[in-house]
Amino acid sequence: MNEELDSQLSAMFDDELPPAECELLARRLSRDEPLKARWGRYAIMGAVIRAERGVRLNAPLAGRVNAVLLAEPALAAHAAPRDLRGSRLHWWQPLAGAALAASVAAVSILWLRAQGPADAPLSAHLRSPPAVSVAPAGAATQGDSYVVPVPKQPAGVTVPSTELANYVVAHSMFSPPVARRNLLSAFMTSEPAAAGTEEPPGDLKGIAQ
Amino acid sequence: MSADASDLSLVRRVQRGDKGAFDALVLKYQHKLVKLVMRYVRNPAEAEDIAQEAFIKAYRALPQFRGDSAFYTWLYRIAINTAKNAVVSRDRSPVEYDLDRNNNDESYDMQGRMKDSETPEGLVLTDEIRSTVNAAIDALPEDLRTAIVLRELEGLSYEEIAAAMECPVGTVRSRIFRAREAIDRRLREVFEGGLGRAEELG
Repeated sequence: MNEELDSQLSAMFDDELPPAECELLARRLSRDEPLKARWGRYAIMGAVIRAERGVRLNAPLAGRVNAVLLAEPALAAHAAPRDLRGSRLHWWQPLAGAALAASVAAVSILWLRAQGPADAPLSAHLRSPPAVSVAPAGAATQGDSYVVPVPKQPAGVTVPSTELANYVVAHSMFSPPVARRNLLSAFMTSEPAAAGTEEPPGDLKGIAQ
Repeated sequence: MSADASDLSLVRRVQRGDKGAFDALVLKYQHKLVKLVMRYVRNPAEAEDIAQEAFIKAYRALPQFRGDSAFYTWLYRIAINTAKNAVVSRDRSPVEYDLDRNNNDESYDMQGRMKDSETPEGLVLTDEIRSTVNAAIDALPEDLRTAIVLRELEGLSYEEIAAAMECPVGTVRSRIFRAREAIDRRLREVFEGGLGRAEELG
């Protein structure tokens, strides 16, 4: 037996070996049976010196534990399938995503149409400011009000339909082409000629690209 | 020196799928763990069963061990919980030897000792191991004996032993190693002498 190796083993047993050397020796220790047996005898010496009465020094405990663990999968092998399970995509997941995106877009359109007269163009809904009841100035003194005042939007800051269309298209990239075409044609039929000339607001510029 | 680096390097290997590294951890801590469990159960065979269960639980839980605490501290907690649960479930079940224990402690002890088919030969071996190690320690030169006893009995670090013995840390490491080598030569003879085999240390 290599004396330097045994000296390292003794230091490792006492937690006095530098971590880098521990890494190397741990690898060897896990495979080298004579080295492991020596390691086990170091533990016995410690038990005797500490006078651990009642502890049987020849008890085959490690062998019993080892026998039970033989039937178990190694931890890394056991963990790997779980990781794969977590990361694998099922075939239906992109379809579900596409369906969800399309239905969100469709509900948005229907909701916007339902907000005004049936024959009003869609862009009209987009330009008109939301109908919000603003509490009168003295309302706070008269009691609790459940109407939340909304800050006035600066004039001209509306969401143009072209920008909204781009936004919807960008977010329905997984939707089927037919659904996307229907959506765009709905915008086009409701679009007055002037709407296309508006400058998109800054906060939507990045999103629409 | 980073504390627990040796255990942690073995633990990391186990976490990467190396069962042999766990074997080394069991060999290192089995006696301490059995001794700990024997605070809860008197019977050595039962203590070993509980320690075995604690080791297996620890192995299964190792993927969750992050190394925030020392491995032995973590193992210690598992063993304590396992021992407490074992005592509770034993007390709930109508085990006949509880009656024997009340009537005759001596017969209970004999039952406990023979329960795991511990042979008289095995008991002799334990005594032989103990006397061999003690004789080997007594035969050590003073400086080696002091170094190994301060380490194993008092649990001092090499640096603390160096301060106590007024010598460099490297000398302490060498003394402890030479003490172990001297004891191991005698101990190997016991294991290779027919009663046991080196690989049956666990």
